[in-house]
Amino acid sequence: MPKDSHAFLGRTNPTGYFRQVFLNFESSKWNYKKAFFIFMDNQSIFKYSWETFPKKWVRKMERSEHGNRSDTNTDYPFQLLCFLKLHTYTRVQVSIDICGVDHPSRKRRFEVVYNLLSTRYNSRIRVQTSADEVTRISPVVSPFPSAGRWEREVWDMFGVSSINHPDLRRISTDYGFEGHPLRKDLPLSGYVEVRYDDPEKRVVSEPIEMTQEFRYFDSASPWEQRSDG
Amino acid sequence: MFLRRIARPLMAKVKETTGIVGLDVVPNAREVLISLYTKTLNEIQTVPEDEGYRKAVESFTSHRLKVCQEEEDWEQIEKRLGCGQVEELIEEAQDELKLLSMLNEWDPWGVPDDYECEVIENDAPIPKHVPQHRPGPLPEEFYNTLEAVTPHPEKDTPAGTSSESQPKE
Repeated sequence: MPKDSHAFLGRTNPTGYFRQVFLNFESSKWNYKKAFFIFMDNQSIFKYSWETFPKKWVRKMERSEHGNRSDTNTDYPFQLLCFLKLHTYTRVQVSIDICGVDHPSRKRRFEVVYNLLSTRYNSRIRVQTSADEVTRISPVVSPFPSAGRWEREVWDMFGVSSINHPDLRRISTDYGFEGHPLRKDLPLSGYVEVRYDDPEKRVVSEPIEMTQEFRYFDSASPWEQRSDG
Repeated sequence: MFLRRIARPLMAKVKETTGIVGLDVVPNAREVLISLYTKTLNEIQTVPEDEGYRKAVESFTSHRLKVCQEEEDWEQIEKRLGCGQVEELIEEAQDELKLLSMLNEWDPWGVPDDYECEVIENDAPIPKHVPQHRPGPLPEEFYNTLEAVTPHPEKDTPAGTSSESQPKE
């Protein structure tokens, strides 16, 4: 019976229990004790961050084996990420990805997701913010320089722009492309098709006319599909 | 007897390199660390008392300061704290100070009245065939800090300081 188990948020923490057992475990064979090293606390950094974040910043937190997440309001992601980067026990110095998610049924339809990694403590954390079409996010380029390209991607694909971004231009779409592709209301094949026009000797964009042949999808069969069978 | 007193600073091993690109060796690491930690402990007074952040910072900063003051040698400090090299400790302390000045500017302390935070604990297990890369054990003082920070019903001083620390692999 461990003498002192962490009562975290009213629940007994199973990994804390484990640690107590591990420390009190006496074994003549070194191998048994070594086996405990497999089950290590990779949730404890996240739990620590629950307690130490300023409460104003956090709206929702999820701890799970599938990915730890914390949600915040639109004003705060820059501050939250600076905190995560600089604080001694949550040294997340790498931003892996910043992407967006479109939930068309919600009022604030986009969610901007920051995936972060701490190489010092080997832990990952995901921070999410919600935004609508006109909200502007503050860029997190100063703590994480790689975020410049991710933010451009979010702007290009979703239309969520940033205030005072050092370099906000399109990154994945064609020059002169109108619209934001990864929004749910832009169809899969887009609105415009592009072809090389011989009389004019250049590439022209025209409204799309897709042939029926192209639109025949039958993914169950491995053979190449054509509309005539 | 006097010979040992004279020779002890000479016997301390000179650190050749940190082994990390871009991180130079700091010869007077101990003094730098002590000054940084005392400065941190001064600055943290501006944070309101019952914030988890303040408790955590006070806990680990005072522990590290105590260890630095007790041990003369950078190697002893590293071994006792178990938190990596002294240059890394210096970097962490400097970042903490930067963070404190930023937090003073933003002032996010205090909980608004209509605050509600949804906490989801999802214990769905990972399928057995998925390889999980578990990290190694964290330094002892992290657990002490975690205990200091979690709100216990019978809250008082945090758990005793570590006598032996586990070196981080």
